[in-house]
Amino acid sequence: MLGQVLFSGLALGSIYGLVALGFVVIFKATEVFNFAQGMLVVCGAFFAYTGIMLLGLPFPMTIVFIVLAAAILGAFIHAFLIQPLAGRSMLSIIMVTIALSIVIRAVLEITYGPQGKTLQTPLPTGIFLVGDLRISQLHLTAALVSWSCMAMFGAFFKFTSVGLLMRATADSHEAAVVSGININVMNRLAWAIGSVLAAVGGLFLGQLQLASTELESIGLLALPAVVIGGMQSIPGAIIGGLLVGLIEQLSATYISPKSSDIFIYVLLMLILMVRPWGLFGQQELGRV
Amino acid sequence: MSTSIVPLQKSNLGLKIIQWGTILAILAYVPIILTDRAIFGIRLSNMQLLNLGLTQINLMLIAMLGALSLNFLTGSAGLISIGHAAFYAVGAMTGAVVGTQLGAPFVLVLLAAAITGALVGVLAGLPSLRVRGLYFVLSTMAVHYIVVFVFSEYQYKFFDVVGVPFNEAQIAGFAFSTPIRWYFFLIATVMAVYFGFKHILNTREGRAMMAMRDQELAATSAGIDVRILRLKAFALSSAVASVAGVLYAYYLTNVTAEFFNIQFAIQFIAMIIIGGMGSLGGSLIGAAIWLLLPSIITGFASQAGVTTGIVQRMLVDNKPQLVQLIFGLLVIILLIFAPGGISGLIKQVRLRWAALWGRS
Repeated sequence: MLGQVLFSGLALGSIYGLVALGFVVIFKATEVFNFAQGMLVVCGAFFAYTGIMLLGLPFPMTIVFIVLAAAILGAFIHAFLIQPLAGRSMLSIIMVTIALSIVIRAVLEITYGPQGKTLQTPLPTGIFLVGDLRISQLHLTAALVSWSCMAMFGAFFKFTSVGLLMRATADSHEAAVVSGININVMNRLAWAIGSVLAAVGGLFLGQLQLASTELESIGLLALPAVVIGGMQSIPGAIIGGLLVGLIEQLSATYISPKSSDIFIYVLLMLILMVRPWGLFGQQELGRV
Repeated sequence: MSTSIVPLQKSNLGLKIIQWGTILAILAYVPIILTDRAIFGIRLSNMQLLNLGLTQINLMLIAMLGALSLNFLTGSAGLISIGHAAFYAVGAMTGAVVGTQLGAPFVLVLLAAAITGALVGVLAGLPSLRVRGLYFVLSTMAVHYIVVFVFSEYQYKFFDVVGVPFNEAQIAGFAFSTPIRWYFFLIATVMAVYFGFKHILNTREGRAMMAMRDQELAATSAGIDVRILRLKAFALSSAVASVAGVLYAYYLTNVTAEFFNIQFAIQFIAMIIIGGMGSLGGSLIGAAIWLLLPSIITGFASQAGVTTGIVQRMLVDNKPQLVQLIFGLLVIILLIFAPGGISGLIKQVRLRWAALWGRS
């Protein structure tokens, strides 16, 4: 029983970690606390639905379609909403992402109807047994894909020159400008990457449940994951995601399904009171 | 209303009195128009009344309390909170315990809601002693989830899925049995809160609060204890929100924990952004737009019933989504092009006007 819960917790946690990673990429680059990240997850699920069920694309093409659509969406959001608001107060920027998620939700519900859609992909859905453990292949695939995405983007930031430029931009906008980096391009790229990561999470969450706007609340679990892990830290986001997934599954199984949110947010509160910079972040806030 | 609260310009006292008299007369006449569906005996069609009823107006007045208290906290004290629905929930829960379960009179319920609201507000404000900015926003979000969880546990323990029932509100034998009675009570409450906040912003502490919002370091060096001030602002704001919550619960006569979700909190932020951050009058405008626009759109939708095709589909089948879409776009457009909200726009127009006519 415990092993089962740990497995599904870690598998779901990997998806949260992936979404949280996208969130951190956006936050590091543009310092935007993206409340629309949950909605970008929903977009991913609906892109998948459009690709597979409506356009009838073969699965590899669907993946390309999801990635491109999410990247374009991210770049558009940055160009039309975030860049014009550069230098504004935090509330304006938070609120624009909230308003954006309201708009996206409305557009999706008008286009696809308010009911959730079943999403069927050729991904394996069977179950196999390891000892007593019932391993769902979909959960396993989700976890594996999430981890390889994380590894891929980790390598991208670490080893490629564009990744280096992006890290430099995130580190200091001024220094990046002085060195001749086009920071708008870098930030747009960060938004594109962030939304692609969220959309990949949405592909799996949409199949594990339904493709519906209700997925937003699951996608928003990336926020506590990020804060618990440390807002500036990429490994922190992943570990935060895993922790959130584990807590959610453990409390839903052993205490009550409704209590899972509360444990996550109590942990968030504790972290904020004791170690506001998160488990893996660097201490940098001013004290009152 | 005592004249000392209303800021008066020395030169045109008479004009002010006439202005206020007219405003009060209109406010007193509005519910009669909306109940009789006629103005001075002339019948008005539903569309001429913009499809509005007194219920929407009353709900708008309650939302105005929430928007005012949030704008006081966010616009004037600079503390962003996305947990404002939590204080509504605190008020509703206090109402359920004190009013429904203990059967206390309505006045006591209001008082109890204000006190618990203030206490929970201080608790929710405690993280502000330690964290700031984004981290504080998140702590209010955590408070939101915790309070709503407590409310739903309470609801399922003592009541059931249907929700928490509330008695009919009455003060000293005067029962709020009709919307029109609610209207007069609510309009008086909104006015009291509005002028109360306005007065506070003019006192030393109110100015200190705005100084704290603009330049915390400078405020501290001017001898302001920002920590206490923050907690005070939080306590006052959440006390008002909690009273709004209990009024909301009594007005609807039945609430469930699901009412107070994060969208409920977000709508107040949207209201103050639409109306204008830091402007008390703006909160009223924002709340009015947010609460009345859906019903106006519904009115137009039923008018457009004859049209077919995509317009009709948009207006009739997807009405809630359409309303959300309009609100979302409105907030985005205002944020990008008019950060001061509608009250900021009005101020700009006034300044232009004044410059044009060469008077200040």
